[in-house]
Parts: sequence; structure tokens; C-alpha cells
Amino acid sequence: MKYLVESCGYCGACVAVCSNKLLELTEIEIIIKEGCNDCGRCEMVCPLGALILEEDQ
Amino acid sequence: MKYDVIVVGGRIGGSISSLFASRNDLDVLMIEKRQEIGSPVQCAEGTTFSTFETLEMKPSKKYICTEIRGANVHAPDGRTFQVEEGMADGDILNNKTISEGYVLDRKVFDKYLAIESAKVGTDVMVKTTVKDLIRKEGKVCGVVAKHLGETMEIKSDVVIAADGVESNVAQMAGLNRIINPDDICSCAQYELVGLDIDPHLLEFYFGRTIAPGGYSWIFPKGEGIANVGVGVRNSTETAYYYLNKFASKYDSTPVELNIGAVPLSGPMDKTYSDGFLVVGDAAGQVDPLTGGGIHITALCARIAGEVAAEAIKEEDVSSTFLRKYDELWRYEFEDNLKISFKYRLIFDKLSDSDMNALAEFFENNDLKKLSKLNTLKLFGKHPNLLKLLKDIL
Repeated sequence: MKYLVESCGYCGACVAVCSNKLLELTEIEIIIKEGCNDCGRCEMVCPLGALILEEDQ
Repeated sequence: MKYDVIVVGGRIGGSISSLFASRNDLDVLMIEKRQEIGSPVQCAEGTTFSTFETLEMKPSKKYICTEIRGANVHAPDGRTFQVEEGMADGDILNNKTISEGYVLDRKVFDKYLAIESAKVGTDVMVKTTVKDLIRKEGKVCGVVAKHLGETMEIKSDVVIAADGVESNVAQMAGLNRIINPDDICSCAQYELVGLDIDPHLLEFYFGRTIAPGGYSWIFPKGEGIANVGVGVRNSTETAYYYLNKFASKYDSTPVELNIGAVPLSGPMDKTYSDGFLVVGDAAGQVDPLTGGGIHITALCARIAGEVAAEAIKEEDVSSTFLRKYDELWRYEFEDNLKISFKYRLIFDKLSDSDMNALAEFFENNDLKKLSKLNTLKLFGKHPNLLKLLKDIL
């Protein structure tokens, strides 16, 4: 999962849907913890397209 | 450090929980991860008068941008019908009349609530993140927090999680809440200046090409100023894409961009455990059809603060006692939230032509005087609408 920090709106949508709870919203950044399996759930809900599956690039 | 109650999150849910806990003579700490309470805005900022009834506050021009008397609903084919709610000539200063709805300035309102809470004794820590919960024999009894690189343990009898849709604190307490992407409404909103709008009417626009799985809105904030936003679900394009498409129709200038996510899955199954309560978006206390939640969160947060106070006075913060919070808020809202969820399921299956048919029906019928005959005529003309109702209800 690629995270474009410049495109992030810090809304937390991705954190809410992460099935492995590997995402954390700090004040102005999403932290992606070890173990992401690129399921793509976060990409589906990001209002600004700040999270992109590597295979989509 | 030891408090009676620690509230995680400093927006509406957090400030109201802490306000009512402090009013009941508790030592309360409210922790907000951002350095400024109320910012960034993640909301269309509309609410109802009931929010102020809950708060026992008179609405103030300090944080109310405009009063709302109703809404125009726009179908995909452009057909429009109006829903009237309250009175436009409400005078919030002299209280001559009461308006049913308001558009708030959340940056001011959220901070106002935090200040009110602080005035009655709540300690507030900003730019502080909760990294973990402290537990003893399975009971939550504090938080591990981090402020400017310093990690600290703060103990409490009760922790209230009001940390929003992105809540990780409920998960830390063992209350599982992973939301299906289909149940998240992704939202993007501009505050636009230079609009030709009625300052007392909300506008809602529906259609697969406008906002798939959701709707677009215009919430006035004063003369020529409005929140213009889009919420989408199950969309291949982002909310921001649809926002720009929608906003491009207006000759106006953005002065703010807001991004948000609304949980439309309905409330979580359990909102309490030993020494622990969850409120607001973190608990899914949002109307699953409209996405509105300020008035719901307000009352749930008040109940949370008051039940926490009662539990501490009774020296019983077990889940058995704190279950009272869950029972009280469900008594107030659960039936309506369940009905809204059913309506949302119907809405999810409506095609643009179904929505046009419904708009035609509402355009030609007074909602307050709906006759069985006219309703039967609608279903006779559009049998798929009846099938949808049968499938879901």
C-alpha cells in the first residue's frame, strides 16, 4: 500500500475499515504498521485517493 | 496522575461527556490528539434544536451561522420537492421563535463546548495521543498517552472513548469495531463563497452521476456562503472527484476544504466494558440514512458523563453497572437507528429512475396528507418500489 501523505485529509476513513487494525491516524499522518496485506479496503474509502495499492500504479 | 474519568477525544462527544461528568463533581481529563480543538472540520455542520435541549443551552450566534426552515430535495432528473421543517424567522438572541435546525460553525462550537467543560473543572490536554489502555484484572483503569514525545501513564476509574470514526481505543478495550467499506460514506466538502442561495434552506441532490451511494448537499452558512459537499459509497471515483464535478457548476470560490468519513453501519453491538464507555462516531451513533449524528452524539455523550459519575459515586465501575449507559442511549435512539438502517438498505437499491418516480410522487402529494390510494397508485405504476420494500421489510 502506497500512502501519499501530501494527498491525505486526515479523516480516518482508512483506519475505520482496516480489518487488521494496522492503521493509526496521528494529527497529520497515517501510520501503516507492519503486516499490511494490501487488501485494498482503505483505498476504497479514501475521499482523496491518498492510499493506492501498489498494483494499481 | 489519577483522575475519576479520562475522556479520549475533544470534539462534541468528548466535550459533552466531560462537561456532564465534571458538572457531577468528578475529576475529569479530556485528551485531544490534535493541537487545536474543532479543527479540521469533518462535518456538514447541520444540527437540530434537540442538541441544545440536551445541552440545556440557549443557541448562540457565537457559533450558529444560520437557522434552517426546510430543505429542497433534488432528484436525478432535476425534479425538486421541498420539505419544510421549522420557522425561518427564529430569533436566536431574543428566543421569540424556535428554529428547528441550525448550521453551526463547528470550529467555534467544538471549542466553545471544550471551554464550557474546562470552566466547570475539566483538565484538557491537546496534542496528546492515547497509545494504549492500562488494564488491571481485565478492567480498564487508565491510558498510556504521548505528548510531544513524552510517554506517560494516567490512571482513572473510567475511560470514555470519543475518538471518532478512526477510534482505536475501543479496539484496545476489546470492543471490536471494524467497519465494512460499504458502510463508510466518504465525504469531501468546500466552504464556498459567492453562491446565490436561500440562506435558510438546505439542498440535497441525488443521483448515480452526482453522488453514487450518497448525496450532494448545500448547507448555507450565511449570505452567499455555504458548505457544498459530496458523500459517496462504493464508488470507483473519489469523493473529491465528485465534489469538484458538483462544485464546478457554481461561480464561487472555496475558502476551505473539509474531508470526512461517516460510519453508516449503525451502532456497535456493545458500547461498554469494565471501566470503559464508547460514544459518538466511535460507537456508530450516527443515523445510517442521513449520516447526521450531532444530536445523537450529544445525548449519548451526556448519558455517558452522567452514568460515569453515578458509577463512581456508587464505587462500582464494573460492566454490570456501566451497562446502564448502553441501555439508556439505546432506549432513546436504537429503534430509530434500526428503521433508518432499513431505509438505507432500500435507498442503496434505488435506481435513478426509482428516485425520479419517488420525487414525482412527493412533488404532487402533501407529505402530511398522504392517502393510501395515492400510495397504492405509486406502487401500481412502479412495482419495483413495492418489491424493494417487501424484500427489506
